[in-house]
Amino acid sequence: MAAIEVNEVRKSFKVYFDKGRTMKEKILFQHRNRFEERKILDGISFSVEKGEAVGLVGHNGCGKSTLLKLLTRIIYPDSGTIKVEGRVSSLLELGAGFHPDMTGRENIYTNASIFGLTKKEIDARINEIIEFSELENFIDNPVRTYSSGMYTRLAFSVAINVDADVLLVDEILAVGDAAFQAKCLEKMLDIKAKGTTIAIVSHSLSQIEQICNRSIWIDGGKIRMDGSPNEVHTKYLEYMGQKRLAKSVTVEKKSGEPAKNSGSPENKNIGESGEISEKIAEITGVQLIGEDGNISGKYRSGERVTLKISYRANPEKLNGVLIGLLFFRNDKLTCYGTNTMRERIENIALKESGEILCEIDKLNLVRGSYWIDVAIRAKDMFAYDYVAKAVEFTVYSSVDEVGVVKLEHKWTFN
Amino acid sequence: MQFIKEIYSYRTMISSLVRKDLKGRYKGSLLGFLWTFINPLLQLAVYTFVFKVILKNPTPNYYLHLFVALVPWIFFSSALTTGSKAISGQANMIKKIYFPREVLPISYATSSFINMLLSFIVIFAVCLFSPVGLSPVPLLVLPFVMIIQYALVTGVTLITSSLTVYLRDLEHIMSVLNMVLMYLSPVVYPVSYIPEKYYAIYMLNPMSSLIIAYRDILYEGIVPQLQTLLIAFAESVAVLLAGLLIFGKLKKGFAEEL
Repeated sequence: MAAIEVNEVRKSFKVYFDKGRTMKEKILFQHRNRFEERKILDGISFSVEKGEAVGLVGHNGCGKSTLLKLLTRIIYPDSGTIKVEGRVSSLLELGAGFHPDMTGRENIYTNASIFGLTKKEIDARINEIIEFSELENFIDNPVRTYSSGMYTRLAFSVAINVDADVLLVDEILAVGDAAFQAKCLEKMLDIKAKGTTIAIVSHSLSQIEQICNRSIWIDGGKIRMDGSPNEVHTKYLEYMGQKRLAKSVTVEKKSGEPAKNSGSPENKNIGESGEISEKIAEITGVQLIGEDGNISGKYRSGERVTLKISYRANPEKLNGVLIGLLFFRNDKLTCYGTNTMRERIENIALKESGEILCEIDKLNLVRGSYWIDVAIRAKDMFAYDYVAKAVEFTVYSSVDEVGVVKLEHKWTFN
Repeated sequence: MQFIKEIYSYRTMISSLVRKDLKGRYKGSLLGFLWTFINPLLQLAVYTFVFKVILKNPTPNYYLHLFVALVPWIFFSSALTTGSKAISGQANMIKKIYFPREVLPISYATSSFINMLLSFIVIFAVCLFSPVGLSPVPLLVLPFVMIIQYALVTGVTLITSSLTVYLRDLEHIMSVLNMVLMYLSPVVYPVSYIPEKYYAIYMLNPMSSLIIAYRDILYEGIVPQLQTLLIAFAESVAVLLAGLLIFGKLKKGFAEEL
């Protein structure tokens, strides 16, 4: 039986240039009520079976969040039908109806009641909710004394413990610290195992891959592709890569500066955190090179890769040097970090310009999207240069593993 | 049927909204919850002074005659004034999360209803100390009259709150309408003042028959005529149904309009 059925749904928003709200304005200035129809969804049909977990992907403004809002029944389609069976819980807006002066416990009751739970049902879940939020010691304090992390943790715990038949999630797993995120992920898998239907909108493809068994790519208000996350995401990334490449080429032409880096779309060479000091040492380019010179930004799990850092430096002013690397998954989970000092590599001598190579025999990350931060620091940790997201890349694999790191292993059966 | 079931499953939300509203209503004010009693008493003092002392209304025990109508009237008028903001004042919730939208006006009407019930403590006290006293048999009808009015107020709140989302002027029109309707209901004068030829039209106002019933029970000490009760019931149910219908049509656009 289908849990969600979407049939030929269309939705457009009226974008008013100058909307009159009062009666005077509505009558006197009728010409002001001009608006532009913006088509957001243009005939979307799909159905989700009970217990299925579906990811919705697409670039910003493609209509995936609108679709999710339609599924929650916050807004309604212009034409077409949507059927959702059973109790729906949404992780769209956390903490609806939270009152800062009320305690955490009171807010659990208010918030859960908005999901349609009765007092009895909340009583039965309250311990589980509090335990999950890890706020046992603060639960009877007013919510205004909470940090924002505590606040979202509490809200998330309520929403996820509603025991819905259908769970709708929008970009929510970026809650709290890494440990709590891992717990949320586990809980999601748990919920899925219980047979709850799940629909997720996320920019984190790896999250979708971990939870979902199906992915729908929406582009320009239509379904572009519908299939296993692996297939859909590969195509999606390719498409996005081409788009980005097209964009970066035009930028380079405009600025007239010579490209410092290869044209690879995934390898950026300008740091997002920008200048930190007058450049005694400067990272001028970072590249991740796979086997056979592969710089596509997509690497097989376990591929042999080399990280190439190009730099410029003023050797006389350097006060000792260390090179630092931080690997992140795209949900900001730190996967691996190291630097040359931790590894007791001393007396690094930089030239006026040159390259530093870091060879990684096996890129033992499970599939997903990652980035690397690269830093050149003085021995007192002063950052000469720090490039966040120096390289962004995805790892693919033929094996459906979960987690972060691939532990090399062998099976033996006796 | 489906609708009633859904509203029923959201009963905890309704009760928690009602509790929040009652708690929050006088928050920060010095006299706090006492305002529930002070406000009608002050209005009573003003109207009694104007209509009894200045305009010399000959009705015996005028203050009681007025008071038993004024408290139900204040309940009704809340649906017109503050009740019209039941949806537009909760834009944040409407835009962000699903719940049956009817929950908001229903909890608004419910908290006003509870407020009226509390004011009735004062009415009973005033009645007991007045020469009129309290007659027990007619009092048995009182809960029915109150429930009929509760249905009426819920209906009106559904209408005003949903229309206000689309037309913000209504908030201001409501305060005028509020005054007009008050003088078109037998609040400050007895219904016998209405000329015979206008009587039928006058009774189209559901508050007319309701106030007559309240006054029969508390002021005259008699059981209201069946006809009065039937008119009040029929008109109030009609308003409630119209409210549900209008609200149901308009609620789909709330999130986009707000």
